[in-house]
Amino acid sequence: MRPAPRWRRHLGWLWLSLMSFTLLMLLITYQTRWVYPEIHAYFSQAGNLTGQQLATRSREYLQQSLDILLVDPVDEERRHQAHFQLELAYSLFDIGLYRNEYRCTRPSLAALDELKVKLRSGEGLLPGDLRHSLLGPIRCLTEIEMHQLDRRSSVTAAFVEDTRRHQGQVLIGSVVIFVLGLAFWWMHERHRRSAERATRESLEWMARALSDPLTGVGNRSALHQEVLACEGKPMGLILIDIDFFKQYNDHLGHPDGDKLLRHLARLIDETLGGQARLYRMGGDEFAALLDCADDGVLAGHCERLVGGLRDAALHHPDHSGSSIVTFSVGAACFIAGQASFDGGYAAADQALYRVKAGGRDGWQVAEAKVVADNGDLKLERS
Amino acid sequence: MTSSRPFICLAAWLTATLLLSTPVAAASPDQITLQHNDEEIHLSVDDLREQADVEFTFFDPYLADEVAIRGLIFRDLLVAHLGGVPETLHFYAWDDYDVALGGWDDDNWILVTHQDGEPLSMRERGPVRLVECDYGDRDPANLRNFNDWVWMIKRIESVP
Repeated sequence: MRPAPRWRRHLGWLWLSLMSFTLLMLLITYQTRWVYPEIHAYFSQAGNLTGQQLATRSREYLQQSLDILLVDPVDEERRHQAHFQLELAYSLFDIGLYRNEYRCTRPSLAALDELKVKLRSGEGLLPGDLRHSLLGPIRCLTEIEMHQLDRRSSVTAAFVEDTRRHQGQVLIGSVVIFVLGLAFWWMHERHRRSAERATRESLEWMARALSDPLTGVGNRSALHQEVLACEGKPMGLILIDIDFFKQYNDHLGHPDGDKLLRHLARLIDETLGGQARLYRMGGDEFAALLDCADDGVLAGHCERLVGGLRDAALHHPDHSGSSIVTFSVGAACFIAGQASFDGGYAAADQALYRVKAGGRDGWQVAEAKVVADNGDLKLERS
Repeated sequence: MTSSRPFICLAAWLTATLLLSTPVAAASPDQITLQHNDEEIHLSVDDLREQADVEFTFFDPYLADEVAIRGLIFRDLLVAHLGGVPETLHFYAWDDYDVALGGWDDDNWILVTHQDGEPLSMRERGPVRLVECDYGDRDPANLRNFNDWVWMIKRIESVP
């Protein structure tokens, strides 16, 4: 099985890291959007009517009815008012929770029923009747209130403890997720840097493989790659041969020959005004590639190259026809592409050899006509 | 001299009869008042009981027991009397509780008139009260979940 590519591995770590931080955000959102409102809902009723216990409200109505009935005379209007307060008290007292959990509830409700009958019948109310019918239920309601308050306290304490534990778990979870996120991010960064380094090294190796180590210009492979990269564009190829370079080397030695090569590479580049890509094709042969659709322009470049070298007047100790270093230059225009490049290269080379055959220290441009159907070239002497 | 006392008695009797036969706008557990756009509508509780056409049985969290409920769909009542469902309603109850709540455009709210076949009286938290026929998965043991149920309704005002 093939291992996953480097970039996929470091993107995997990045994804895990982003997932961790997203999870952390979701956790924080959950905490703020759902948990805190729950706490708010639990405690927000304090201070309003619905926050009071039903037993408290019922007791207050019973106390009000007792107040009414304790003032003489207890006339019809007072009986009516007391009856109304009793009914309200009863409605808040007759709760399933109270019936089921507090034994005093049912007898208290029965006592209220008895009092209601007496109030409606108009019969006189004795202090004993009030003590039995109202004070008993009030005591019961007080007992319920106290017990409910105790229960509320214990529920609140449990809730606070739950919340504290929950907060602790969320905090630990958040820290773990955060640390995991950082770790994943670190892994991602490590892999990304490693991939970047590998890419940089590959590019450096590729650059080295495509360059001439002596002069720093491109080599033959680089020329081919450049031509393929410019597919379809009109280009000019100039082949530059150093006349009697072997004799120069033989006379002055290879180190001086190397120096001359480096110097000439700079000179060619400067003469062409930085517009051309320069390549070393072999021992004493350079090639320059430039955008060029016109033989005339190409001829101008060739003339400047030969003239520039003459002007530089570099001493040649063993030149058969001159005392300075000279170039033989052949050039051709072509349309970038594999087939036409071969034709253009051949045409430039033939032009170069015509210059050599003509005594060197000169230039020629081959006029190339592209045959559209097969990419072959017909060459004519310029 | 003819005594004017019979005429005075007759006038007093007629005045008393007129006063007693005039519709009483004062609050009474026999009616509830709807107020909308500065107009008051008095609904007889007996009429509401007669109109009650929704019946179901559910677990009443306050009674901690299954009860048979009869009543009206509150939204339909609002539409019938107010011509629509106001966004917010202010309720006033006989126990002096008052609250403003929204979300009434919902079939789930029932204006209860009967419980276990008997008309609601004040001691059953009547004469009418509002409940949800389906309270979903809320815990019936926690009565705070049902704070929106309004008991002993005396008056309902639409909030402009």
